[in-house]
Amino acid sequence: MEPQSCVKIKQEWDIVKARQLGRDIAREVGFGTVDQARIATTISELARNIYLYAEDGEICFEVSEESGHKGILISSVDTGPGIENLSQVMEDGYSTSGGLGAGLPGVKRLVDKFDIESETGKGTQIQAVKWLR
Amino acid sequence: METLKSDISNYRNLLKHYIEVRDEQSLYGAEQISKMFIKNNVPPEEIINLHIQALEELHPDMPDYFRHSMNFLLEIMISYGIAHQEHHSLREEQSELKSEIAMAAGMQETLLATTKPEIDCLDIGVVSVSANQMSGDYYHFLKGRDDSIGIAIADVIGKGIPAALCMSMIKYSMDSFPEATMNPKTILKNLNRVVERNVDAGMFITMFYAQYIPSESKIRYASAGHEPGFYYNAQTQKFEEIKAKGLVLGVSPEADYRQYERVIHSGDMVVLLTDGVTECKQGDRFIEIEEVLDVLNQYSDLPAQEMVDKAYKHFERMQNFQFRDDFTLMVLKKEADGQ
Amino acid sequence: MNLNIDVTEGNGKSAMKLAGEIDAYTAPQLKEKLLPLTKIENNQVEVDLEGVHYMDSTGLGVFISALKSVNESDSKMRLINLQNRVLRLFQITGLDEIITLDTAIRGGND
Repeated sequence: MEPQSCVKIKQEWDIVKARQLGRDIAREVGFGTVDQARIATTISELARNIYLYAEDGEICFEVSEESGHKGILISSVDTGPGIENLSQVMEDGYSTSGGLGAGLPGVKRLVDKFDIESETGKGTQIQAVKWLR
Repeated sequence: METLKSDISNYRNLLKHYIEVRDEQSLYGAEQISKMFIKNNVPPEEIINLHIQALEELHPDMPDYFRHSMNFLLEIMISYGIAHQEHHSLREEQSELKSEIAMAAGMQETLLATTKPEIDCLDIGVVSVSANQMSGDYYHFLKGRDDSIGIAIADVIGKGIPAALCMSMIKYSMDSFPEATMNPKTILKNLNRVVERNVDAGMFITMFYAQYIPSESKIRYASAGHEPGFYYNAQTQKFEEIKAKGLVLGVSPEADYRQYERVIHSGDMVVLLTDGVTECKQGDRFIEIEEVLDVLNQYSDLPAQEMVDKAYKHFERMQNFQFRDDFTLMVLKKEADGQ
Repeated sequence: MNLNIDVTEGNGKSAMKLAGEIDAYTAPQLKEKLLPLTKIENNQVEVDLEGVHYMDSTGLGVFISALKSVNESDSKMRLINLQNRVLRLFQITGLDEIITLDTAIRGGND
C-alpha cells in the first residue's frame, strides 16, 4: 500500500486541489476518462460537505489492492456537526434538499464501496472505493 | 457485457455511415440505440465515452481541441447521470408504493365491510365508489338486539389515504360503543368527542346516523353537518329535503345533536348521500340537486339496489367515467306491509 | 383552478379578498396567507368571499383552523359576501353557527 496523500479542506479552492490530486492518482492507477470523472465528482461532493458544514476536515487518497483488485480509496474525515439521520440522508430524493449530505446518495452510485459513520456534534467519516474494471 | 460490446460496434458503424452519407436511416438507427440505452439504464457519460471511442477509431487524426472538448462534455454529463439513476430508482419506489396502496385499499375494504341487513318491509340499496384507490366515504349497517337497524353514512374531509385512516378510526369507535347507547344523537355526540381528540385542527367528518324501528315503522335520525338526504313521499310523489342540523364532527368538543323522527309509510323512501353525488359536474357546470332527484324518480319503481346502481351509472357516464370525489348513494324503501 | 388572494392590513384590521375556487389545490395557499393574520393578537380578520364561486370541504377545513386560531389570540374573524353555493356549505355543516358570517348576502348567481 502506498503512503496516504491528503488535502485539507478550508476554502472552496481546496475542493479543486482535492479533485486534482485524486484525478492524478486515479490516472496513475489506470482509470479511464469516465471513471476519472466519476472519481472527481465523488471527491467534489465529499469535499463540499466539509467546506460548507464542517470547520475542519480533509480528503485522503490511498491506492488500494484487495485480492488482485486494484482501486482507489477516497476517505473524508471531518469534525463537523455530524448527520443525525443517516438513513434519511441516504434516501433517494433527499438530494433536492441541498443540505448537509445532499450529494451522498449520488456518491454511493458513483463508487463500488461506500461506508459512512457519523456522530452528532462530533463529525463524519466516509470511505469510498472505486475498483479498476 | 456482450450486448455492450455489440452496442459499441453498432454505434460506431451507424456513426460512420451517418458521417459518410447523412441519411435518415442512420438517424432512425440512432433512435433505436437511444431507446436501448434507456432500457439498459446506460448513464449519459457512458454514451459520450462511447462516442469518443468510436470517433477515435474512425478518425485517429481527430484534432486535440475536439478531443478535449468531448472530455469536457463528459464531465458535464456526470451529474446528469446521477440524476438519471436517481430518477430510475424513484420510479421503482413509486411502483412499490402503488402496490402497497393497493394492499392497504384491500385491507380497508375488509376492515370497513358491512352487510346489508335483510329485513321485511325495508328494501335497502347502496352504492359507494371511491375517486382514488382509498375511500373517505363510509357507510355502515348495524342490527340491534331489539330488531332496530342502525344506518350510518359519513364523509371525511379530503380523500385518499389520510381520509381512509380517519375512517378506520370512526369504524373502531362505533364498534366499541355499548348497544344500549345506540340512538342517533348519542352516537354522534360520542363520536364527536373521539374525533375532536384525535384529528388535526381543520380536519373534520360529516355523518348522518339513522335508526329504523320496524315495529313502529319509524326512523330516528340525527346529522353532524352531513349533506342532507331526501324523503320521498309516495302519496304526493314528491321529494323533500330531510332537515337535520348539527355541527360536523371534530370541531367543537361540546357539540350536541338534535334527534328527529318520522313514520315511514308504504312506498316512501329515504335517500342518503355524500357530496360526491351532489357535486357531480356536467362539463364545467355543477348539477342541480333537482337533477339528482329527477334521476332517482325515473328509477323509483325499481328495487332499491337496482335504483342506486342505475343512478350511479347515469352519473358515471355524465362525468365521463371520472369522479372527482368519493360517491356514496343509499336508498331505503318501505315496502307495503305484509309484502 | 386558481385562487387570487389580496390582503390589506392596518389599524388592527386585516381584510382579505378572495377570487376563484377554493379546493384541495388552492386551500394550502389560503391557509398559508390566512393563518398568520389570525395569530395576531386582538386582530379583526375579514374575509370577502364574493369572488369565490366554488369551495369544497378542504376550504371549510381552512376556516375551521382559522377560527380555532383567532379564538386563541383573542381576535375576531368574519366572512362576508358569500355566494349561495358557498353559504349553503357553511349552513349544512353547522359551521354558520360558530363562524360569523355576514348574512346580508348579495345573492349572486349559483
